[in-house]
Amino acid sequence: MAELKYVGSKATRIDGLPKVSGSATFVDDIDFGPGLLHAAIVESPHAHARIVSIDKSEAEAMPGVVRVVTGDDFPYRFGLYMKDRHIFAMDRVRFVGEQVAAVIARDLKTAQRAAALVRVKYEELPALFDPMEAVGEGACLLHPDMCDCERVPWFFPEEDTNIAHCRRTRKGDVGRGFEEADVVLEDTYTVPRYAHCAIEPHVVVGLYDQSGRLTLWSASQSPHTQRNLFAETFAPLGLSHKDIRVVTPYVGGGFGGKAGVTMEILGAALAVAAKGRPVKLRWTREQEFYNTYQRQAVTAKLKVGAKKDGTLTAIEHVLYWDAGAYVEYGANVVNAVGLSATGPYRVPNVKIDSYCIYTNLPPGGPYRGFGYSEFHFGLESHMTRIAHELGIDAVEFRKRNAIREGDTLPYGAKMNPSGLAETIDRAAEAIEWGSEVEPSGPGKAVGKGMALMWKAPAMPPNAASAAFLKFSEDGSVNVTVSGMEIGQGYMTAMAQIAAEVLTVPPERIRVETPDTDRNPYEWQTVGSHVTWGCGNAVRDAAIEARDRIFDVVNRARGVPVDALYLEGEKVKSRLDPGFELRLRDFVIYGIQMEDGTFRGGPIMGSGMFMPEFTSALSDPATSQGGHPNVHYTVGAAGIVLEIDRETGKVEILKAALAVDVGKAINPDLVEGQITGGLLQGLATVLYEDMRFDESGRLLNPNFTDYKIPTAMDTPREMIPIIVEVPQPDGPFGARGVGEHTMIPAAPMVANAVEDAVGVRIKSMPITAEKIALAIRDAST
Amino acid sequence: MKREITLNVNGEEWTVAVAPNETLLEVLRDRVGIKSPKIGCERGDCGSCTVILDGKTVRSCLVLAVEADGHGVLTVEGLSRDGITGLQQAFLDKNSFQCGFCAPGVILTASELLAKNPHPSEHEVKEALAGNLCRCTGYTPIIDAVLEVAERGGVEDDG
Amino acid sequence: MSISHEFDYRRPGSLEEAHELLREAGDGAALLAGGTDLVAWLRDGVVLPSLVVDLKGVPGLGEIVESGGSISLGALVTFADAIDSEVIRGRLPLIWEMARVMGSTGIRNRATISGNICSGVPSCDSGPVLLVLEAVVRVSAPGGEREAPINDWFKGPKKTDLRSGEIVVGLSIDAPGEGHGACYVKLRRNRGEDLAQAGVAVLALPDMSYRVAFGAVAPTPVRARRIESCLAGRHMDDAALVEAVGLVTEETSPIGDIRASLEYREHMLPVMLTRALRAAAARRDGDGPAYGTSLI
Repeated sequence: MAELKYVGSKATRIDGLPKVSGSATFVDDIDFGPGLLHAAIVESPHAHARIVSIDKSEAEAMPGVVRVVTGDDFPYRFGLYMKDRHIFAMDRVRFVGEQVAAVIARDLKTAQRAAALVRVKYEELPALFDPMEAVGEGACLLHPDMCDCERVPWFFPEEDTNIAHCRRTRKGDVGRGFEEADVVLEDTYTVPRYAHCAIEPHVVVGLYDQSGRLTLWSASQSPHTQRNLFAETFAPLGLSHKDIRVVTPYVGGGFGGKAGVTMEILGAALAVAAKGRPVKLRWTREQEFYNTYQRQAVTAKLKVGAKKDGTLTAIEHVLYWDAGAYVEYGANVVNAVGLSATGPYRVPNVKIDSYCIYTNLPPGGPYRGFGYSEFHFGLESHMTRIAHELGIDAVEFRKRNAIREGDTLPYGAKMNPSGLAETIDRAAEAIEWGSEVEPSGPGKAVGKGMALMWKAPAMPPNAASAAFLKFSEDGSVNVTVSGMEIGQGYMTAMAQIAAEVLTVPPERIRVETPDTDRNPYEWQTVGSHVTWGCGNAVRDAAIEARDRIFDVVNRARGVPVDALYLEGEKVKSRLDPGFELRLRDFVIYGIQMEDGTFRGGPIMGSGMFMPEFTSALSDPATSQGGHPNVHYTVGAAGIVLEIDRETGKVEILKAALAVDVGKAINPDLVEGQITGGLLQGLATVLYEDMRFDESGRLLNPNFTDYKIPTAMDTPREMIPIIVEVPQPDGPFGARGVGEHTMIPAAPMVANAVEDAVGVRIKSMPITAEKIALAIRDAST
Repeated sequence: MKREITLNVNGEEWTVAVAPNETLLEVLRDRVGIKSPKIGCERGDCGSCTVILDGKTVRSCLVLAVEADGHGVLTVEGLSRDGITGLQQAFLDKNSFQCGFCAPGVILTASELLAKNPHPSEHEVKEALAGNLCRCTGYTPIIDAVLEVAERGGVEDDG
Repeated sequence: MSISHEFDYRRPGSLEEAHELLREAGDGAALLAGGTDLVAWLRDGVVLPSLVVDLKGVPGLGEIVESGGSISLGALVTFADAIDSEVIRGRLPLIWEMARVMGSTGIRNRATISGNICSGVPSCDSGPVLLVLEAVVRVSAPGGEREAPINDWFKGPKKTDLRSGEIVVGLSIDAPGEGHGACYVKLRRNRGEDLAQAGVAVLALPDMSYRVAFGAVAPTPVRARRIESCLAGRHMDDAALVEAVGLVTEETSPIGDIRASLEYREHMLPVMLTRALRAAAARRDGDGPAYGTSLI
C-alpha cells in the first residue's frame, strides 16, 4: 500500500477547538426561547405494584402547570429488540423510580412542585430482585404476556417463566470434552450491576409543532434508531419518518447508556401532549443512576476442561442475567454473550446457556462491552486458575489456546484475521511478566495479572451506515453522517479517511453532527463499529466524489481517467507532470472550456456500507449456522499492582493493554480509548459498588457514594499498545475499538490480587474492604 | 420574590432578576447565556459546573445566584475571548479531551492551579483536578497537557 | 433537580443586623457561609427555611490571626484559606493536613471550617481535628458572646450546641507550640473527594502527652480519653501501640452503611490509629513522614 498521509496520523481532533473553547453545544445548551416548557416525572416508590389510581387534580390546578400526563394518554408499547415497555407505566410498575406520570409546566421548579402533588395509589406486589429466585419455583411472573410482545425472530422467551430469552450455543460435545480432560475446574463468579456515569445526563427537548412535525433534540447515540422507534411507537398519530426529525449535537459521553431509547420516548410523548410548544426533560443525576439503562448483573457458572499439555477440551458456561424490569435492549446483551462466552480461545466443545431474566430492578441495557466485560471476569479468572492447576504459566497457557484466523467460532462461522498472539506477547513484555517486583515496603505485596479479551459488535444483520460528502467553493469539505461523536473522536476519524482519499487535510474537513432530516442513515453508534462501518461509507463517498472529479477533468481536458490522481488538493496527471488543476477552482463552479462554457458543477459523493455476509438465522437450540458477528477485535492486558496487606488498598503500578485495531486511523484516539476504557474497567473492579435496599431502592444514586475514579486514582504508568493486523473489509484495514479496552480490567486485577496475596476473589467489585478482610480471614 | 442582582460575567455587567432559590449555574446558563458551565450532578460532586468567582474556582451549582450579587465571574468563554490560552492550546495539541463535557471545568481548575503554582508536580496537578470528574479520557492526556505547560513555564494567560 | 423550596435571602452588613434577622425568622432561618452543605440540602429538601441569612457580608469574620500563642480562625475562613495560610501550615499543621483531604479545590474555596462543624455530620473532617486541638467555638448570641468548648459542641448527628438565634463567629485554638507532632488519617474509598468512612486525629505534645479523636465511627466525633491515659508519658513503642489499639472498641461505636461495612471499619480503626500514632510521635521527635503524606 502506498504511504498514507492522513490515516494513521495523530491529527488534532476536528472538534478539539469547540471543546477547549467552551463553544461545543450539547442539547441542554440549546436555547428555545421563553416559550420552552419543562417537565418533571412522577416516579414509583415501589419495585412491583399495581397502579390503582392516579389523582392529578391538585397538580393540574397549580398555576403554571400546562398538563399532567399518565400512561393512559400514551398506551403504546415500544422497544428496540422486543416491545415490552410502555411509555409510562400502564397497569403496573416494575422498578423503583419507574415513570408513572409527568407534569409539564412553564418552569422547572413549578413542574417539580406539582409532580410532588400527583397522588398515586398502589397495591404492592411481591418483588423479585434475585434472578435465581426469579427462575425458581412459584416465582410470580413479571411479564405474563411476554410471549405476545413483538420481538426480533432470534429471541426465544420461555412461556410461563421470567425468562425473556435464552441464547443456547452448542458445538461439539462438552460431555466428551470433559471426559478427555485431565483437569476440570468448576466454579461460580458474580458480577453486580454498574452505572455508565457519563458526565452529561440524559436530556431531550421535543416539539410537536402545529404542522404536525415532531422534532426531538436528544443526547443520543442513535438518532436514526430513535426516529424509527418514535415512528413505530407513535404510528397511531399518523406520523411518517419524514415527519419526525431527531437532532443530536455533541454528546457528553454515552458508553452505551445513550443508545436505543430510554427517557427520550418521554420527550416525544410530552411534545405531543403540549402541541405547539417545545418541552424539555432533563434527567437529574439521581435519575441517571436509577432510571436509565444499567449494566446487568450476572451469576456465571463456569466449567472448563483441559489436558495436561494445556490444551482446552471443553467450556461450559451458564449465565443467569439479572436483566431488570424491561429487556427490550438488554436481551441482546444476553444474546451476544450466549454466542461468544468462550472468550478468544480455540475450543472444540462448547456449551453456553445465557438466560435473560426479568427482575424488579432498573432495566438492563447496553453498556460498553455489552456483556463481554461481565463474562470475561469469570472466564479470565478461571483460565489463570486452570493454568495454575496444570502447573503451566498463565500466559503460556493462553498462548497455546489463543484463537487464530480461520478457527471455528462457537457458532460455526470462522474467526477473522487477528493479532492475538502479538497482543499477548507485547502486553506480557510491557509488564515484564515472569519477573518479580520488590514491594515498596514491609506489609505490602506486589502481584501481576494478565487477561485476554475479544468482542464483536452485537448488531442486527442489516445494520448499515451511510455518508454524504460535498465540496465548498474553497475546496473545503463537509461530510454528513449519522454516527455520533460521543467523545471517541469518530468525526476526526471520518475526516482523516475522507482526507486520505481526497488529499484535503482534515483541518479543512467538517463532519457534521446528525440531523435525521439531512444526514443519511446510521443504525446506531454502538458496538465499536462506526469507524469500520461508517468509515467504509465515508471512504466510498470520498471515492465517488473523486471519481466525479476525474470524470469532469476528463471531459473538460481530455486526460484519461486512469492517468489522473490527487495530490495536495490538486488533480494531476501521470502522463504530464506539468498538468495540475486546483480542486478549489472547479469543485463548485466547474471547469471552463475555451468557448466559455463550463463542464461539471458542484462535486458531491455518497457512500453506504452494509455487511452483506451477516445473518441472525441459526438453529435456536445450538446457534449453529448463523453468522451473527461481523468480526472480533482481540487484545491482551497486563497489570502490576501493589497491595497494602492491612488496608487492602490497591495501587496500580503499571497497566498495559494491547489491542489489534487492524489499522489505527488516529493513534491518539485509539490511545484515548485505551486509557479511558482501562480506567473505566478498573473502576468497576476497584471502586464502583451499586447498593440496593431490600425494597429495590437504589441507595447510592450519586457520585458522593457511587465512586468513579478521579485524577488521583490513575495508574502510575499506563502503556497503550497498538497492534495492526488488517481487517480486510475495514477502511484502510481498520477494525473497531472502543468497548474492548474495559474488558480485561476486572479479571486481570483478580489474577494480580491472587498473585500478590494468595487470595482468589470471585465476586466484583474487588474493593479494598474485600481484599483486607479476605487477607485477614486467610491468615486465621 | 425576585430581586435584581448585578453580576460581572467575563468582564460584562449583567443585571438580572432572580429568585433566591436559583443557583448561579442556572442563572448563568438560562439568563446570561453562558453555556460552558454544565449541569452534571447538582451536588458539587462532578465539577462540570465550575466557574471562577472572584478569582477562585467554585462549584456554581452550590452557589445561590444572589450570593454572587456584585461579584465577578469568569468562565471559559471569557478565557477564550481574545484567543485560546497556552493551556487550552496544549489540551488541543495533545487531543486531551474526548466528549468535552468536563473540559470547561477542567480548564478553569487547571488555570487556577497554574496561576498559583506555575510549576506544579504531577501529584499537585492530580490533586488540583481531583474534583473534576472525567469518564472518557482516563485523565492521563489531561494531566500530560498541564504538565507540559508547567514545564514550559506556566504561561497560561495568552496563547 | 432544581431547588423548588422558596425562601427569602438577606445579606446583613453586621452581626447586629444578622441577629435581628434571626430573631424575626425564629426557627425558620438558616445561616449561610460557604453553602457547600446548605445549598445541597436545599436542593434535596432536607432543610426548608423561610429565610437564608448570608454571613459573607459581615466584616471581620474572614481572618486568621495569631496573637500570643492563640490562633483565631474567623467563621468565614475556608479550607482553602487554611491551606494557603503560613500561620496554619506552620503552627497548626494538623489543620493543614486535614484541610487538604477535605473535598476538592472548588469545594475548599467556599466551604468554611466553622460551617463544617455547624453542619455537624458524624464524618466531618474538622471534628476530630478540632477536638484534639481543644478548640473553642466563639458564638455570638443576642445577649453577647459566649465561648463553647469543642468538647461540648457535638451533640448528635447534625446536632450541635448552637442554639436558636446564635451565630458562630470563629474558632480559637491554643497552638500546641514548637516540638509537637500531629496526624490526621482519613479512610476513603478512592484517593479523590470522599466523605470519611473513618477518621483519626492525633496530637503528640512535647510533654509526651497525647490527644486522640475519632470521626465517622460514632454519632459524633469523639475524644478517646482512655487511649490518651494509656499513652500518657510513653514513647510510641510496640507495647504502647498494642495497648492503645486494644482500647479502640471501647472508644468508638461504628456502624455499617453503604460506605463501609462494620467489619471493615472495625478492622481499619486499629490500623489507622497505629499509623497515626506512629506518624504523630515521629513528627514530634523531628522525624516522620511529611505532613500531607497519605498513610493508608
